[in-house]
Amino acid sequence: MEGKRSNTKPSDLLKKIQEITRSIIEDICRGRSPSLYIDRFRNYCTDATGNCFCSLDLSIGKEVLALQRECHARRLDVLLRVLLIVQQLLQENRHGSKRDIYYMHPSVFQEQSVVDRAINDICILLHCSRHNLNVVSAGKGLVMGWLRFLEAGRKFDCINNLNTAHPVPVHVEEVKDIVSVAHYILVIEKESVFQRLANDQFCNRNRCIIITGRGYPDVPTRRFLRLLIEKLSLPAYCLVDCDPYGFDILTTYRFGSMQMAYDAQFLRVPEIRWLGVFPSDSEKYDLPQQCLLPLTAEDKSKIEAMLPRCYLQREVPHWRLELELLLQRGVKFEIEALSVHSLSFLSAEYIPSKIKGGVHI
Amino acid sequence: MDVSLVHQLCQNLISSAIQRCRMSDHLCRLSVFLKLSPPSDPPLVRISVSDTGVGSCLEEFQCLKYAMDPESAEKWDGVISLTTTGINDSDIYYYHLNLKEIVSTRRLTKLPSSSKNGTTFSGTEVSFSVFGSVDGLLVKLTYFLNKVLILRIPNVAIEMLVEESDDISGSRCKTLVPANDCFPLTSAASNVERLKSGLEDYVFKHGNNLNDICHSCFSSGVHLKVGSGAACTKRRRSTGQVMEAIIIISELSKPTTSSCFRACDVKTEVLYFKDFSPSSISQSSLNGLTSIDWKSYGLILRSIADHDGYALLEWENLPPYAHIDIVMKPEGMQKSHLDRTLIRKAVKLALNDLKEKNTGALLSTNALKICSYAPDLARTIGGLILSSNDLDFQGECLSLLGLQCQEIKGETTEDCIKRKIISAIEMNDRKPQRNREAAPFLFEDDYFQEPDVLDEEYEEDEQAFSSFDL
Repeated sequence: MEGKRSNTKPSDLLKKIQEITRSIIEDICRGRSPSLYIDRFRNYCTDATGNCFCSLDLSIGKEVLALQRECHARRLDVLLRVLLIVQQLLQENRHGSKRDIYYMHPSVFQEQSVVDRAINDICILLHCSRHNLNVVSAGKGLVMGWLRFLEAGRKFDCINNLNTAHPVPVHVEEVKDIVSVAHYILVIEKESVFQRLANDQFCNRNRCIIITGRGYPDVPTRRFLRLLIEKLSLPAYCLVDCDPYGFDILTTYRFGSMQMAYDAQFLRVPEIRWLGVFPSDSEKYDLPQQCLLPLTAEDKSKIEAMLPRCYLQREVPHWRLELELLLQRGVKFEIEALSVHSLSFLSAEYIPSKIKGGVHI
Repeated sequence: MDVSLVHQLCQNLISSAIQRCRMSDHLCRLSVFLKLSPPSDPPLVRISVSDTGVGSCLEEFQCLKYAMDPESAEKWDGVISLTTTGINDSDIYYYHLNLKEIVSTRRLTKLPSSSKNGTTFSGTEVSFSVFGSVDGLLVKLTYFLNKVLILRIPNVAIEMLVEESDDISGSRCKTLVPANDCFPLTSAASNVERLKSGLEDYVFKHGNNLNDICHSCFSSGVHLKVGSGAACTKRRRSTGQVMEAIIIISELSKPTTSSCFRACDVKTEVLYFKDFSPSSISQSSLNGLTSIDWKSYGLILRSIADHDGYALLEWENLPPYAHIDIVMKPEGMQKSHLDRTLIRKAVKLALNDLKEKNTGALLSTNALKICSYAPDLARTIGGLILSSNDLDFQGECLSLLGLQCQEIKGETTEDCIKRKIISAIEMNDRKPQRNREAAPFLFEDDYFQEPDVLDEEYEEDEQAFSSFDL
């Protein structure tokens, strides 16, 4: 089921880069401003009627980058600089990180997000994913549990040290020979909770694989999670804080991010289930008042901005209800708040009982 | 002496003389003559304005009105002598006009006329005498006439002379404004063309202060950047109003003599003509000038000042020793409420025309900013070509650029690309904003919206005006 793009071999991409260069030269030789037409994508809109086409992964229009506005001239400058670097990486079959690229012209790029945007634009122009450009991110995800695999011939044997965190492989396309006896995959928002579970030797007593993206998940973590689900056909459960950021991270796993909407079909994990923690858990598990923090104004406006996202209404209306409830109750709490009763409550009671009882949405 | 009152009177007399010359079918001469009497205290000056145009029907003098304050009353008795004869008249008529007389019917006194003895000619002389020094007046009148010369009024020669006499050397005559060449009225040269060459001369002669082109400034083929435009009202073409505008940008090397310094003033006097005379400019016309988006021509207007009724535009960012001259001339019926739009339209047409004809001139502030990206863009695009390991692709790109493969050197390629980028930016900047290349796609979704929205300049009352470039 893994969607694969065609024509993403380095030689194909180099040809496409040449086409772009040639079209720019043809433009300027005809006395026209060089123009790049970049498709625009979005993975959600705020159309309340639900009559939108966001689920189809179609381009919603084209943006023209030409030398008519200063901001476009600047973007064109950045984009072409990054394109030149990508051409060199592909020709020499080397890899570079987004950060490496940033440091090649820091004074021009000014900030990392400028480079990231250019990389996204290039992916759209070349119809490929970021890793096809030989551009990788540093990789911040962690994994542990009943799993063994090879990455570029290197063996990752997590089963040997069940409760030790391993970094998520950066070159996901080179991951092979995945072996697992796990029954499910647990996706954890935060490293602190991941380490709590490692400390409690959660995997000794539960046949599972645990992954964390350490906050908003990066591309390798999401691609790796997708690969595991596809290869092993395991259910995946996600545990996030009961606050707007936790919910947003949950939707990033499930639907992808807006910044990389063009690639959402290869990054999202539609199978993921929300295990907790739910706003209603505070009563269900009898959390004392001091564990509950009032929502700030910023929290509230973030929730209000998330509620109209079309995919919530269309695909996970029950998630949306929980989000509404969060806003109504006006309090948030972290996963760790469950430790108020006992340190091992999370690993010994909360997670196993939820999975066993099917208490996830 | 109250210079402004006398000056005002002289201007009016000259203006009406110009009208009489224009009505004539023959070559005409217009002389302004100031005769300074032998030194006396206070000095006495006889000022006369004479022309060989059609005779006067006196109407233009009837409506002269001046508020005479007691001070000027001491210097001028308010009496003007008039001598005029029409081409068909057999006599020359003499009058006295007393401007102090409040009842207008009593102002004019007819004097005995004299016979022309069968000769055929026409003309008018108006003269009056005032007490006081005339230095200030001479400067102002010279300035005024130098501006009139811009118009190159067909078949009219204009001059100004001053005669001084003293007991020692008798009388000396000095020419302040030499009689200009008479411009024949040919159909080939349109009004705008005449105005254009008149303004070019004005610039070459440093405001017509010199008798000839200033060779030290304009010798080495210094090229004036000239643009012209005419806007007219579309409706009721028969009574339509036309506004002509000429703009000249002159850039000099360092000026050598002091008379040349005027040429690099950062201020521009708006030369505005009404009925073939330099005139002050109306407030609505000024508003029209202020409302032009000068930035889209790379100019920053610091202020508009009023200088003796003439508008002075002060620029913020002119290059050193550059000067802008603007002349505007309305024709046809005057409807002041249209001035604003017409002036704006005509000046913009002239600016566009100048930009069209002079590569790189008047680039918009935006285009200048974008041009600053050209070197970096060129270096990167050059890099994309030269660092490619596909030699066929390299060869193809270089031949597209018109370069020989032997020339493959980074700098050559880069330079070539840079030149082409800049010329594309310049070409695009010359197009009127409405017609520029495909506008960037805008999204309804806030997520993609850029903070800087292109500031388009919209025309007001677009339907009412047509434009033609000349």
